[in-house]
Amino acid sequence: MATTTDKKLAIDIPTGSPDRAGVARAGVGRPGRLQGLAYKGVVRLYRLFAILALYAVLFGVLAYGFVMGFYAINTSWAAPVILSPADDKSLDFTQKLVTSKQSLEDLSLDKKRLESSISEMTEHRASLLALEPELQAAIARERKHNRATGPQLSDLERQKQADNAKTQALMSQVNQLQAGIERDLAAGLITKGDAAAQRVALNQAQTSFTDSRISEVLLTDSILEKTTAHTKSLDVLDKQAELRSEIAQLDIALNLAEKQIREESQQIDRLRQAIATAKQTPYYLSVSGGTRINFAFIPYDNQGSARVGAPVYDCYLDMIACRQVGTVKQIFAGEEHAMHPIFKSDMRGFLIQMDLDHPDSAKSKTVFLGRKPLLF
Amino acid sequence: MAPVLMWLILFLCLLITLAKYTLGAILKWSIPDAKVAKDYGYQPTVSVILPCYNEGRAVYDAIASLSRSDYPNHLFEVIAQDDCSVDDSYRWILEAQRDFTNISISVGRNEVNSGKARSVCNALSRSSAEIVISVDSDCIFDRQAIRELAACFCEEKIGAVGGRVGVRNPNDGVITAIQTLVYYAAFHLYKIPENWTRSVGCISGCLFAVRRELLLKIESVVRERHWFGIPVNQGEDRFMTHLILLEGYGTYTNNDALCWTTVPATPGELFKQQLRWRQSILRDLFFTVRKLPQHVRQLHPNALLHMVLTPLGAIVALLMAITMLAGNPTSWLGPQPLLVYLVIAAVLSWAIRKYSARETLKNPLAFGAYVSWWLVSNLFLTPLALCTMDSRDWGTRGKQEEASLGHNNR
Repeated sequence: MATTTDKKLAIDIPTGSPDRAGVARAGVGRPGRLQGLAYKGVVRLYRLFAILALYAVLFGVLAYGFVMGFYAINTSWAAPVILSPADDKSLDFTQKLVTSKQSLEDLSLDKKRLESSISEMTEHRASLLALEPELQAAIARERKHNRATGPQLSDLERQKQADNAKTQALMSQVNQLQAGIERDLAAGLITKGDAAAQRVALNQAQTSFTDSRISEVLLTDSILEKTTAHTKSLDVLDKQAELRSEIAQLDIALNLAEKQIREESQQIDRLRQAIATAKQTPYYLSVSGGTRINFAFIPYDNQGSARVGAPVYDCYLDMIACRQVGTVKQIFAGEEHAMHPIFKSDMRGFLIQMDLDHPDSAKSKTVFLGRKPLLF
Repeated sequence: MAPVLMWLILFLCLLITLAKYTLGAILKWSIPDAKVAKDYGYQPTVSVILPCYNEGRAVYDAIASLSRSDYPNHLFEVIAQDDCSVDDSYRWILEAQRDFTNISISVGRNEVNSGKARSVCNALSRSSAEIVISVDSDCIFDRQAIRELAACFCEEKIGAVGGRVGVRNPNDGVITAIQTLVYYAAFHLYKIPENWTRSVGCISGCLFAVRRELLLKIESVVRERHWFGIPVNQGEDRFMTHLILLEGYGTYTNNDALCWTTVPATPGELFKQQLRWRQSILRDLFFTVRKLPQHVRQLHPNALLHMVLTPLGAIVALLMAITMLAGNPTSWLGPQPLLVYLVIAAVLSWAIRKYSARETLKNPLAFGAYVSWWLVSNLFLTPLALCTMDSRDWGTRGKQEEASLGHNNR
C-alpha cells in the first residue's frame, strides 16, 4: 500500500485497491487531483469553522460557568417584578381587601346598633331602679300604718262585739213588743197610727242591729287585712319581684351587648390593622395607583443590600457595564416567593419598591443594589 | 419555539425508549424469532484477524485466550497484524506464536502505520477461510466464542455476526461500574430490536465475524475510506456493518459469544473513547443521509429506523442537556434523576449478578454518578466530535500510554 502525505494539511490520499465498483457504490474512494484540491479547501474551511466553533463552545461554557458562579456568590442582585392589577395575586389581594372593608363596615354598623341598644337599656334600667325605692317606701308606710291601726281596730271590734251582744239581747224582746202593740191595737188602747209608728220603730231597731253586725264583720276583715299577709301585699311583692327580674334581665342583656361590642371592637381594630398593613403592600400600590410602580424581589440571602435610598444598577449581560438607574424607595415586610432568575429554584424573600429613572430597567432579568457587582 | 423544542425532545426520548429498550425487552422475552436458530454442527473454516498497535502484553493474552478455544483447532487460524507498534507488541505476538503451537498463528506487520481498518484488510489477504473474525487485541475471548459465532452463519443471509463484550474490570472504580451496566444494557436490550430484523447497525469491533467473500467485496471501500481526503482510522466496525447491510446481508449479535475487555477507568480515557465513538456515530449519520435513497430502497425499515435513532439519540441528548441547563440549571442535582438511575442500576445489577456473575458489581449505587457523566458527555461529546472529524487517531491506541483503552465502536 502506497501512501502520500501532505504534511501541511496532514491529509493522506490512499491509493486503494482496484475495486472501483464497491467504492463508487459506497460513495468513498480515491479522489482525483481536482477533487483532492477541493478536499483541501473544504478541510481548511472545516478546520477554521471547527476552531471557531470550539472556541465559541469553550467561551460559552466558561461564560455559563462564570454566570452560575457569579449568581451563586453575589448577594446584591434583585429581580425586577412588574405587578399588574390583573395578576392573580393582585386580583386575590383586591378581593380580600374589598371583603375586609365590607366586614369592617358591617361590624361598625353593628357596633353602633349595639351601643344604641345599650343606651336605651341603661335608661330603662335606671327608671326601673328608680321605682324600687318608691315601692319599698310605700310598703313600709303601709306596714307602719297597719301596725298602728290594727290594734285599735281590734279593740273597737271587741267593743263592737259587746255592743252587738247587748243589742241582740234587747232584740229578743222585739216579738213581745210586737205582740203588745197588736194587743193594744186590738184593745183599742192605741190607734192604728200609733201602732204603725211603733212597728216602724221596732223595724228600725232591727235594721240598726243588722247594720251593727255587718260593721262587726267588716271590722274583722279590716283587722285581718292589717294584721296578716294579705293577698294585696303579695301582689305588691310580686310586682317588686317582677321589677327586680326585669332589671336583672336588662343587666344580662347589657353585659352581652357590652361583651359583643368589645369583641367587635377588637375585630374592627384587627381589620383596620390588616387593612392598614395591606395598604403598605406592593399589591395595594399596584391596584390602587394610577401610575406605574416598579418593584423588585430580594431573596433573604441578599437582604443586607436592601436599604432605602440605596442606588439601583442595571447591567448589560446581567452583570457587566452597569449604570445607576434609580434608588430603593421602600422595603416591604411581607414574605414573597419567587423563582431564581438563573437557577430557576424556588426562593423566599421580600419585595422592594424602586424609584427608577429608566423604566426599561424594570424589564431586566436582574438589577443590583448598593454597588456595581463587578466594579464596572 | 422553546415549547416546540421541549415537545420534540420528549417525543424523541419516548421514541428511543420505546423503540430500543422497551421493544428490546419485549422481543428478548417474548419473540423466539428474534434469535438466530444456531447450528453448532455447521463448522466453517475461520481466520481470526488480530490487528495490533501498542498493546504490549495484552496481545499475548488475547492470543492465549484464543488458543483455549473449543472450536476445532484445525478449522481456525490466528492472523496477527502489527501496525508498526512502537512498544513491544510485535515481540509479544512472536512469543505467542512460539508458545501456542496448538493453533496456527500467522504474523504480519504493516510497512507503515495504517490504522486498524487497513490492518484488517492487509491481514485479510493472508486468509483463505470461509469466515473471518476481526477482534481487538486487548480482549480476552471466551472458549465458546468462535463456535458461537460460526453457528450463526447457518442462516445464509447473515453476513456478519458479533459477540457480546463483557467488562473485565467492573470494580476498578465508579467509571468502570457505570460502563459495566451500560454495556450490559446495550447488548441485552438496546441491540435486541436490531437483532429481530437481522439489522444490527454496529457490530462491536471486539468480536466481529464476517463471511470472507463479503469482506473481500467491501474491503476496498473500507481500506479507502476517508473524510475529505483524510483517512478514517476509527469506527471501522460500524462502517463495515453498515456496508454489509447495504450489500443486502443480515447482521446479528450473538450474546452467547463472549469476549472481555478492559474498559477505561479514568474520566480522561473514557472521554477520549466516547469521543471516538461519537465521531463514528456522526460519520455514520452523514453517510446514511448522503445515501438515504439507497438506504430506503435496500434496508429493512427497522434497520433504517435504528440507524437514524442512534445518532438522533446523541443529538437529542445534546439538546436535552442544553435545554436543561438553560431552563433549570440545578434540575440535574435534584433527587429524581438520581432516583431513576439508581432504580436502573438496581435492576441491571440484579440481572448481571444472576446471568453474568463475572461482572457482578460490588457497588452498583455508583451508577448514580451517571447523572454527572450523562450531562458532561452529552453536552461536550457531540459538538467536539463534530469539530474533530479530521481526527487521525488509530482508534483504541493513539498513544502508548492509552494501553488500557477498550475497544472500537460497539
